[in-house]
Amino acid sequence: MNLFFLIKEGFIGLKRARFSALISIISIGLALTLLGLFALLGQNLKDIFFRFYKQIEIEAFLEPTLDNKSLNSLKTKIQGMDQVEEVIYVSREDALKEFQQTFGQDLQQLLNENPLPASLRIKIKSDFSNPLIIDNLVSQIKALKGIQDVIYQKEIVRFLHKYFKIGVLVITSFALILLAVIIILIFNTIRLTIHARSAIIQIMRLVGATNLFIKTPFIIEGILQGLAGGILGGSIVILIGHLIRDIILPETAIPSILFYAILATGVFLGFIGSTISVNKYLKY
Amino acid sequence: MIEFYNVSVKSSNRNLLSGASLKINKGEFVYLIGKTGAGKTTLLRLIYCDLFPSTGNVIVDKFSSSTIKKKQIPYLRRKVGVVFQDFKLLPDRNVYDNIAFALQAVGARKRAIKSRVLSLLTQVGLNHKRYHMPTTLSGGEKQRAAIARALANEPFILLADEPTGNLDPEASRGIVELLEKINKSGTAVCMATHNYELIRYAPHRTIVLENGLIRREIDSKNISSIRSL
Repeated sequence: MNLFFLIKEGFIGLKRARFSALISIISIGLALTLLGLFALLGQNLKDIFFRFYKQIEIEAFLEPTLDNKSLNSLKTKIQGMDQVEEVIYVSREDALKEFQQTFGQDLQQLLNENPLPASLRIKIKSDFSNPLIIDNLVSQIKALKGIQDVIYQKEIVRFLHKYFKIGVLVITSFALILLAVIIILIFNTIRLTIHARSAIIQIMRLVGATNLFIKTPFIIEGILQGLAGGILGGSIVILIGHLIRDIILPETAIPSILFYAILATGVFLGFIGSTISVNKYLKY
Repeated sequence: MIEFYNVSVKSSNRNLLSGASLKINKGEFVYLIGKTGAGKTTLLRLIYCDLFPSTGNVIVDKFSSSTIKKKQIPYLRRKVGVVFQDFKLLPDRNVYDNIAFALQAVGARKRAIKSRVLSLLTQVGLNHKRYHMPTTLSGGEKQRAAIARALANEPFILLADEPTGNLDPEASRGIVELLEKINKSGTAVCMATHNYELIRYAPHRTIVLENGLIRREIDSKNISSIRSL
């Protein structure tokens, strides 16, 4: 099989049916733009939630009698836990200073002593930001020798987690519906461009071309359409992302992989769409 | 070379062909004659595996309709050339490229394609029009180009489905003369037509079809007995 001839036929096919190919590329591009914008929205919502999560800390108050050696061993033990990102020691003096900075009152002068205990502030890895996991971690820390009490913003964690789950569900559902619509749209667009040239398929069959030989130029065409649509869609999404970041929301994240993901989706859908469509003309 | 054994083809509401048995020998010229819907096209489609029998068996060279695998069909079609009433030329390529396409589609080499296409163009008398687009050709010339394409892979039989259906009488006779010339060089020809004048002009074995049944066979000597359909 002459691969060069088949690739050439793929390009010639695009050139010959340039109007329908252009319509197809624009349709694919716009469909992928919608999908890409959804991905951008999802990624940014996820980032916002994780930014909140990152601020969540578990505060473990230490027994007043705890010596330095036990403190270090306790710190190492907690730091070694899978869910823990960072452990910061806050001495009684540091706690007092923080109190004064936050509330503007000198607690020591007021009570003639420092009532605040020393503590360990524990930051959790974002992968483990689940209330159940945090509860479990809190119980583990509580059980450690030298820990007096453990507190964390339980209600905020539960609230965030609940709405994060709803957000993920809503975005995933919309994205899946959109993806299904896009797949149908892309398949239909490619099918129309192939249907417009069903005569050439019939002639190829009659002269004894193998199915692989008939299919290949159309698949190459489908891939090229998907690639061009992907470049178009990816560029629009990145452009819109930059506009949003520059004009409305400076914190907007534009993942560099997004453009390539849209491109790959276009190529993949172009390949699958053209393969399925051309197969319909190749019964025997 | 081509044998039909009690072949029937049923579509949803009627029999396209009923109990057809026939044989076409190597290098033979055969007409299939009958009105529209008599079963001529069905019979031809069975030969190039565009259709399969509901019952019975069709043997084409070493292939049998009951045992042929899907991936073998292209190889059978390379041995069977087909031309149609509407020519089925690719409108976006010139005559040369239309013929070359049949050779490119089977993976022939560029040099072999060139010499074969030029030889075919000479054979069908279209050498001077090789760079013309199909839209600029007359009906007879389009059919000659289609015949050249059908012969590109050196088939042992040429199937012609109403090849003169869109042509005037003079061009029709020219096409039949060309088919006879091709037949004399060793390629069998099976031509479906409803034009009995043409059969009388160039008599050969004729199979008469009616409502999906083979009614009778007439040999070339008794063609004058055909008066009308």
